[in-house]
Amino acid sequence: MNEMIFEAKDLSRSFTVGHRVFGDLANRFMGDRPPTVLRAVDNVSLTLREGETLGVVGESGCGKSTLARMIAGILPVSSGERHFRGEPYDSLLARKRDALKIQMVFQDPLSSLNPRLRVGEIVGEAAVLHGLVPRSRVKEYVIDILARVGLPADSLGRYPHQFSGGQRQRIGIARSLAVKPDMLICDEAVAALDVSVQAQIINLLMDIRRDSGLAMIFISHDLSVIRHLCDRVAVMYLGRVVELAETEQLFASPAHPYTRMLLDGMPKISLERRKFMPIKGEIPSPLSPPSGCHFHPRCPIATENCRRTRPELREIASGQVHACLNVEAI
Amino acid sequence: MSTTGFNDFAQRFAESRTAVISLLISLVFVACALFAPLMSPTDPYDLTQLQLSDALKPAGSTRMLPGEEVRANIRFQGGTASVEPASPAQTRQSITAESCGANCLGVGVAPEGTKLASLQIRNLPAGASVEGGKKHIVQPWWTVDNPEDGRVRIVSNSQLPENFTVLAIAKSLDRETDFVFRLGTDGFGRDMLSAILYGIRISVFVGLVAAGAAMVLGTGFGLLAAWRGGVTDAIIMRAVDFMLGLPALLVGLAILAILGNGVSKVVLAIVIVQWSYYARTARSFAISELGKEYVEAARCLRLSPTRIMLRHVLPNCMPQIIVLFTLNIAAAISLESSLSFLGVGLPLTRPSLGMLIASGYEFIFSHKYWISIYPGVVLLVMIVAMNLLGDRLRDLNNPRLDR
Repeated sequence: MNEMIFEAKDLSRSFTVGHRVFGDLANRFMGDRPPTVLRAVDNVSLTLREGETLGVVGESGCGKSTLARMIAGILPVSSGERHFRGEPYDSLLARKRDALKIQMVFQDPLSSLNPRLRVGEIVGEAAVLHGLVPRSRVKEYVIDILARVGLPADSLGRYPHQFSGGQRQRIGIARSLAVKPDMLICDEAVAALDVSVQAQIINLLMDIRRDSGLAMIFISHDLSVIRHLCDRVAVMYLGRVVELAETEQLFASPAHPYTRMLLDGMPKISLERRKFMPIKGEIPSPLSPPSGCHFHPRCPIATENCRRTRPELREIASGQVHACLNVEAI
Repeated sequence: MSTTGFNDFAQRFAESRTAVISLLISLVFVACALFAPLMSPTDPYDLTQLQLSDALKPAGSTRMLPGEEVRANIRFQGGTASVEPASPAQTRQSITAESCGANCLGVGVAPEGTKLASLQIRNLPAGASVEGGKKHIVQPWWTVDNPEDGRVRIVSNSQLPENFTVLAIAKSLDRETDFVFRLGTDGFGRDMLSAILYGIRISVFVGLVAAGAAMVLGTGFGLLAAWRGGVTDAIIMRAVDFMLGLPALLVGLAILAILGNGVSKVVLAIVIVQWSYYARTARSFAISELGKEYVEAARCLRLSPTRIMLRHVLPNCMPQIIVLFTLNIAAAISLESSLSFLGVGLPLTRPSLGMLIASGYEFIFSHKYWISIYPGVVLLVMIVAMNLLGDRLRDLNNPRLDR
């Protein structure tokens, strides 16, 4: 087994909705309407080994992106601990050059690039500022990085809007690679792209992983992408991890009812006539999540107990954990 | 912005003919401001050039040079007269004197036949008088207006004393010059055209400097509020609300009432009034930019907050701030003019357009309309042009308003 590169323990992040300084003061004096709290991520624990790729999958609004930003260290946690190679984030983030080892690729290829900067500046800025490359050599350095992500050298002086979606995502990846990261978090990195371009970007990420041994956290709502790319998969539902397993194991024998229903929804090539069972109901509002197990209103096997008890993660086979109270009943 | 981006922008800007015309007019005003000393026929700040005799002349009248004065002491001694020039040092005409028979002394100017406005003889001996002259009520001064041939005669019924000295003061006629007051003169005899050109200079200068300083200050506060959020944001934005709630002119009046007149104080007053517009705009656009992923990317690249705000967020807010700047220059100019009109703005010796309008106000009911009207029209055209320009820029920045 490889060394741990990243560990998260009981990460939570809540947002206060409609938080305003004077409004809060007024509320305090009037003594009514406590501010609504949204728990975007609720007690999530994850680990990542050197060189490993962890997939995080879930519906929109389940807290994947919030989790990604907390792991990347650009969003503070409400509670919980984050460690990078055994070091807590608080001390890591204070040393900016070491904090560069954690990088992120964003979802929207256009809004994640500053429209007023040229590609050369976008990619080279941080490397120069943090002293990874002397200013005099930054041009060759950026051209080199651009070549790695498959962009021509003349992209250097152009602006993001002059590129296609796939090329923009390559620029985003080049920007991360330029600071020599050890861990790359891809937040829906291919979701906004055409399917053919998706494949190119996934192949690029796999090439990069093979060449530099990056550890990756790959966040997506697309199960086929996850299956293709990841060693382990965490399934999230309404801010909580409901199942975590090796990819093969998860796709072969999903334990949690939510995972099963997600997998049933996957398109397959098969001669049999499939019966499609959509997950019934809507994803509940995270502002007022259901009691007990968040999934119980949509769960086919929910019991009275699910309404009351919050399920903890349990290990059933080696490496496979899930949070369902009565999965054994099926 | 790339060159293609700029060309595209220029092309879209040029689609509105109004906008192009206002841009040209604005540029003309900026040129007036820059080159006022070269363009204006006189220097309105040079108070020594002003002639009160030129005051309140309508457009197209010429400047008059007032007549010169020549003084000389005429010493009469034993029937002969001698002339000693008195100060100031003499110019073209010189005074002559000769006896013209018994008890008669002729005083004139050379060359002969010069037209004079008046010739005054002072300190006549007792009993003597000047032919056709009027005596001063108190002093022994005799004045002849428009003397024939430029000469007068001192006569006496009795014997003139053996020795006496008189002072002769000859005043030549006012002379017309080639200089034309194209837009008339104000109450001090100042050329209105020059005064307006210099007034544009002051107005544009005050507008640019005040709006620019307000832009820097307000944008800084806006970015700070957007970046810090929470209590800082609340305090800054409530201050902004407070400033926006007060009428600009009232605040300006109050500030200048405390600080007194002067260009720098007017600029300060305008900055205090206007910073809040920029703070509000900068904050709102910075907040929307801060929500974009490129800011998160910059944070992930561990760039300092200052760098993120100034290098990444600010340039993306600049188009909106520039639009506000254009509109606020016009607002600053009109505020400065209003304050000057109300008498608390700039000093009278360095009039801005508003000051000129105000100084003409007291004459406007005596048909001396040009002192107020011309600067007023110039001010109107300037503010309308800048507003139209700012409106067009704003429309271009807001795709929903475009077409």
